[in-house]
Amino acid sequence: MVSAMTAPPTVPDCDADLIERSHADPEAFAALFDRYSAMLYRYVSRRLGPEAAEDVVGETFLVAFSKRHRYDAAYTDARPWLFGIATRLVARHHRSEAARYRALRRSPVDGPVEGPAERVAAGVTAWASRPALAAALAGLPRRDLDVLLLVAWGDLAYEEVARALGIPVGTVRSRLNRARRKVRAALGDTNPMDEEE
Amino acid sequence: MDDLELLRDLGRELGEEPPPELARQRTRLLDAARGRRRSRLPGGRWTLLGVVAAVTAAAVLVPASMLHGRGARPPAAGTPGAAAKAVNVLVVGSDARSGGPARSDTIVLVHLPADRASAEAVSIPRDSLVDVPACRSAKGAATRAYRGTVNTAYTVGGVPCLLKAVEKATLVPVDAAVEMDFGGFKAIVDALGGVQVTLPKAIVDPRGRRLLPPGRQVVDGEGALVYVRARHGLGDGSDLDRIKRQQQFMAAVVGRAKSGVLADPVRLARFTAAVARSVRTYPRMGVKELEALAWSLRKTGPGAVRFATVPVRPAPEDPNRVVIDRARADRVFTPFRR
Repeated sequence: MVSAMTAPPTVPDCDADLIERSHADPEAFAALFDRYSAMLYRYVSRRLGPEAAEDVVGETFLVAFSKRHRYDAAYTDARPWLFGIATRLVARHHRSEAARYRALRRSPVDGPVEGPAERVAAGVTAWASRPALAAALAGLPRRDLDVLLLVAWGDLAYEEVARALGIPVGTVRSRLNRARRKVRAALGDTNPMDEEE
Repeated sequence: MDDLELLRDLGRELGEEPPPELARQRTRLLDAARGRRRSRLPGGRWTLLGVVAAVTAAAVLVPASMLHGRGARPPAAGTPGAAAKAVNVLVVGSDARSGGPARSDTIVLVHLPADRASAEAVSIPRDSLVDVPACRSAKGAATRAYRGTVNTAYTVGGVPCLLKAVEKATLVPVDAAVEMDFGGFKAIVDALGGVQVTLPKAIVDPRGRRLLPPGRQVVDGEGALVYVRARHGLGDGSDLDRIKRQQQFMAAVVGRAKSGVLADPVRLARFTAAVARSVRTYPRMGVKELEALAWSLRKTGPGAVRFATVPVRPAPEDPNRVVIDRARADRVFTPFRR
């Protein structure tokens, strides 16, 4: 396709430029997919598993594409915007997400198998903490869970989480603190199942 | 380790690397960008039973390695595998587990060339639209020809009807068919006394339950099913990687048959019986004929099986279904036509 032959190699466009360009040339939007689909897939597959993740990532870009005219070009990085859309789509699957964590909570603590000693030691901590972590995740209210997982699994900074969810940074901090308190309590508690409210 | 770090660890364990199928979502986006109607191509990749059927095809190959070690008996004449002739075998994986009527979940054409040095396996998406010819139902009643998805031919008239429909749609002459379900696959692996696999990491189901631990292990029939069904999370998640895994599994099956079963007459008898019980063949083949076919396959290494999916395109009458892309399919099926 001739239109695919773009300008000579220069500094790659920032996301805002790409989105701007996609107003006239819709196919330019696919470049955003190439940049961020893998990242989004990892995030969503952690929350929902691989099957749903493929679909949610696809939907995310369709929604983003249809809303591209409302994108604020002042933000050069589109990641928070895309993660926000993905997170709202994940919410539609909240039942299966919760079931996923509940299932993990029940998974037997039979420990990791053989391997180098230090890896086993690290593995034991991580493995042993898994049911407690899962129980905490299963018990968190949606708004706190979204903030916690955008930070831990989406690798977003506080300001980016704020943009993704359309809330003030202060609210991000307070929700994150509340969520982490509950997670720590679950980790410290011998019987995390009793921790749920 | 602090709580966030533990959580990040859990995330890494739960998450997946993007599979090659994610490219379909890019196509979806581009379709929207071009103002086209959304089309999601069904099929076009190996379904889980496709993998099972591929392994089943390998199970047909297994007795070859057993017979290879057991002194050369001349094969009986007049059976599909006996003469040094190219053979096309239709492998049907059916799912009768759900309690309802059995459905054909997987349809794979396997081509064995005259020299038997290799094998080609081409899967046909079960929702491909084809012209189903007039058949006979299980009760012997005549059925009418119609246009429908290829798997419905199985529901209408069983494997013989499916065979006719596939021949018509692909223009590939089919000499024999092998049908098997999940139960048969499990029975074969169990009769082998399990198969050894090595997992780089645990296989976890969509809800997070751990189905198989990481590391080297001997899996029984149930575990083997989990292993061959796993699409994501092993290796680099690419198609090539999955094919490699199938072939490794087949090699493991063959290796197991050679070393374990062959040495033990009791288990050998049990294995042959399990294969004979677990697969239905058309035309009917007894243990002897199966052995003859197997004998002719002794030169086929488990790594010499090539896998492909028949090229499809959206059906003109229904963009949600596919039809076989004749022009491209012809290239795939060239070796199948003698």
